[in-house]
Amino acid sequence: MSDLSSNLFEFKSDSEAIEFFLNKGWTDGLPIIPPTVERVIQFLKTVPNHPSEVIGYEPVKSREITIEKIAINSVMAGCLPEYFPVVLKTVESILEPKFTLHAITSSTMGAGILTVVTGPIASKLNLHGGTSVFGPGYRANATIGRAVRLSVINTTGSNSKQIDKATLGHAGKYTWCITENPVSPWSSLHEDRGFKSTDNATTVFAGLSPIQVSHHHTQNPKNILRSFKDALFSIGPNQGEIIIILCPEHAIHINNAGWGKAQIKDYLYEISVRSNDEWNKGSHPPAGSHGGVSNDATLSNVALSPDTFTIMVAGGNAGGFSCVIPLWGSGTNSQSVTKII
Amino acid sequence: MESNQTLIVLDPTIKPKVESSMMSERPESLNGLTIGLLANGKLNSEEILQYVYEVMKENYKLGIPVYANKENASKPCPQDLLDDLANKCDVIITSSGD
Repeated sequence: MSDLSSNLFEFKSDSEAIEFFLNKGWTDGLPIIPPTVERVIQFLKTVPNHPSEVIGYEPVKSREITIEKIAINSVMAGCLPEYFPVVLKTVESILEPKFTLHAITSSTMGAGILTVVTGPIASKLNLHGGTSVFGPGYRANATIGRAVRLSVINTTGSNSKQIDKATLGHAGKYTWCITENPVSPWSSLHEDRGFKSTDNATTVFAGLSPIQVSHHHTQNPKNILRSFKDALFSIGPNQGEIIIILCPEHAIHINNAGWGKAQIKDYLYEISVRSNDEWNKGSHPPAGSHGGVSNDATLSNVALSPDTFTIMVAGGNAGGFSCVIPLWGSGTNSQSVTKII
Repeated sequence: MESNQTLIVLDPTIKPKVESSMMSERPESLNGLTIGLLANGKLNSEEILQYVYEVMKENYKLGIPVYANKENASKPCPQDLLDDLANKCDVIITSSGD
């Protein structure tokens, strides 16, 4: 206990503590598990580091983020102690300067933080990548994602009533953590980023609300991928990163035709292009302004290159429903981060 | 069931690391000074600066302004751009458009 430096509060019961935290604005609006000294110490025992160690710095609000504070917020979220190393590495990832955390948590654009945990640790912790992958019912998914959000709210002061100015936001701002479906015929996310299949990794994305794409009537990869076209155009041109979540049904059909991730990326890039005149007729900024494209017949692509697309397989084995997840700031002002756990 | 045991709970928040700093010295008048106009890259951020400059020009004899745009509203202004403005200007005005 002497290793801990946080202020202490005394309550007569769990419910009294929960009400205090809710009234203070220290939660996401849902009740929390009171972070007692005993509970927090249990979490801290899962990592070798001293609780006072600083894992990152948020420069806009001038906060040095310590391991102790992330443990407190992980307890509050309802995590099991064994989830803590994953939460810790994920928070470390969002504090990387290229993730631009402050902008993501304050911007009107309303991004959530999508955490994708891959490697053997995902099944060990019972992380879910199958049916209703973004839905409720899976403790590791629900509480790891929530621990990341509570950490952001409490350690950077980014709560919805003060700093967070999202026009709409989306449900992923409560909690948003998944893994890939192991039926995927392809390499996993962290392997695509140069790590070994035996490594455990966490990857963070500043994700806007997913756009669902439906295709049931063919098994042809070109037909399936052309279904993504309108969803991609809704994002706007010159995106640095875009997530494509393929449901197992779509992934298996595409793989059966002999296509891998490289062909998928190339084809999506090839079809998601239109003239600047066409872009400028819609909601896109006018020529010459911030983010605008020239006002002529030259072509601009949704993606800066085929590598803009991050392809993952997740969701239930039944149903031809995939999705596009656009990233905050055109996928250039915030870049995804992968770290080994 | 009531318990006599109290619950000791930890504070989940972090206070900002406060550093004290001084405001730079304010000029007594803007007459004859060079004004830097630093836009933040958002839509209309240059337009609002130009408007402010035009209003100031009605009241003071200003030198030729130095225009700059940090291009990315989400990231801090690059240090070399700040240094350059500090060298060239007596006063800098910045803006956030949208």
